Amino acid sequence: MKRLKKLKPAFWDHRDIAGSHSHTTFNFRRKWKLLVLFTSFMALLPLFVMTLVDFSLTRRIIEDEVESSMSKILSSAAASISFSKDLKKSALDYIVHSDAGEDNDIFVVNEDGALLTPSFYYGRPGTSDIFNVNLFNENSGIEEDVTPKGKPVIAGYARIPDTSLIFVLVKSKKWLTDLWLKPRLKLVWYLAVSIVLILLSIMGTATYLVGRIHSTDRKRTEALRHAEYAKKLASIGRLASGVAHEINNPLAIINQKTGLILDLFTLREDFSSDDRLIPLANDVLDAVTRCGGITRRLLDFARHMEPSIEPVDIGEVVGQVLAFLKKDAERQSITISVDNQDVIPDFECDKGSLQQIFLNLIENAFAAMEDGGQLTISIKLKEKDKLTITVSDNGSGISIEDIDKIFEPFYSSKDDHWGTGLGLSITYGLIKEIGGDIMVKSSLGKGTRFTLTIPITAGTDNGR
Amino acid sequence: MKQVYQKLDVSKKSSVEMPSKVLLVDDEKEFVLTLSERLQIRDMGTAIVYDGKSALDLVRNDAPEVMIIDLKMPGIDGMEILKEVKQSRSEIEVIVLTGHGSGQDRKKCMDMGAFAYMQKPVNINILSETLKKAHEKIKTGK
Repeated sequence: MKRLKKLKPAFWDHRDIAGSHSHTTFNFRRKWKLLVLFTSFMALLPLFVMTLVDFSLTRRIIEDEVESSMSKILSSAAASISFSKDLKKSALDYIVHSDAGEDNDIFVVNEDGALLTPSFYYGRPGTSDIFNVNLFNENSGIEEDVTPKGKPVIAGYARIPDTSLIFVLVKSKKWLTDLWLKPRLKLVWYLAVSIVLILLSIMGTATYLVGRIHSTDRKRTEALRHAEYAKKLASIGRLASGVAHEINNPLAIINQKTGLILDLFTLREDFSSDDRLIPLANDVLDAVTRCGGITRRLLDFARHMEPSIEPVDIGEVVGQVLAFLKKDAERQSITISVDNQDVIPDFECDKGSLQQIFLNLIENAFAAMEDGGQLTISIKLKEKDKLTITVSDNGSGISIEDIDKIFEPFYSSKDDHWGTGLGLSITYGLIKEIGGDIMVKSSLGKGTRFTLTIPITAGTDNGR
Repeated sequence: MKQVYQKLDVSKKSSVEMPSKVLLVDDEKEFVLTLSERLQIRDMGTAIVYDGKSALDLVRNDAPEVMIIDLKMPGIDGMEILKEVKQSRSEIEVIVLTGHGSGQDRKKCMDMGAFAYMQKPVNINILSETLKKAHEKIKTGK
């Protein structure tokens, strides 16, 4: 059963997870069946016709052969008898000398159908009316008959010249079928082998072709999805930066006005009596600073939607992403510990890609963890030009069956309406794009650990 | 067009460390008025214009020491002012102060010769510090 599963092509169980986009749906299994059916029909039809023609041809040849061999025996017998003077005697002599049996039953009958010599099929001599002589309306010929015991036979006959006697050679029909069986068996064998071969090759070709269509279709959908996702991200980025920009202006006004109030408080004596006013103004300024931090982060994030290679500090990138997800972490009361003891030089990389990678991984970790989970990120310089970063959680883990598929697009363990199933596949693509690698280790119920390897381009150590 | 650089009469003595002619260019009136007042409190002479064209006119007639410009304005925008000023009157130091700002904008402005690139909302102390530095640079450059 397992081996059969391996043979099963990938498209067999294909279901369009992205069902909402119906223009990409394509029933591969049905297409495959149709293709196989149609091609098989077209290939097997001529084969069957040819075999039938051959069958009837062979049958006729064999029948002809039987006929000719029987009539040869009969005519030669008749001829040899006709040369002698006492026809009756020599006929009897001939019969006696020839060995009658199941295969060759030779006997003589008179015109009334009475046996003159013993016959294997028709009994002792003297039995009259046993043979339907009316069958024999010519000098010689071959007819089909049924023995008194109900056995189908073929009877060859020849009238002995100048007498009323008829010389009969009866052969069992079984003999004929035996003769016929061999070529027929051969034919059937040939047909069966051909059918199997043709069906196998048709199925193979169809599987290959449909498989190819399936994989191309998949790749196309994947690319489409990727583009769509990127577009979505880009427009979210544009929205975020627009909002941030627009908020920055009124924020600046609040900032300056409050600052002026504060200036006036400190400059003029009139307000010094109330010692609550200055701290209040300072609180407003603090809030403005906080808002400024938010808009700056939004802008920072939006900016990196467009790829640009620049020197990056990996610790800073991780810090930014964590700052972005701080609220989520607090809501789930997840403890985050970052271990970046190593001195890591800045390196040339697309900051946006790195942010996206960490955002996806950390978000996934959050989704896998219960409240009060523990997320550990460690950044280590394993080799001179290779960075190893591990992101490990103590969440629900990934089962062995799923772990091979998690980087595949459209694969999602979350409810379908929750995730696009693209997060990790995009992460994978981004890591490959920056020349890195990603590995995953997981055990159910204990947690998951993603290990990233990112190359650091040499010579940009102090790139800033 | 002639604009008078106003100065608040709080301290009678003119400070030598602070620039006496600061031109603020921003279309956000509330913002720029308040900022101007606060800079005046901090011993600076300021003038305000609300668009790029008047800014350039003023630069031609009565050159400021330092300019604080916003990037996004209707008509002539901050980038163009910066370019124009740095081409015709390169001794004027320009501080870009904007609510819109990407790394690319920052790089472009700095390449064009801006003295500093700051993002709104800005802390007044940091801004005064920057203005002071600009003033020092002009003085030592002379």
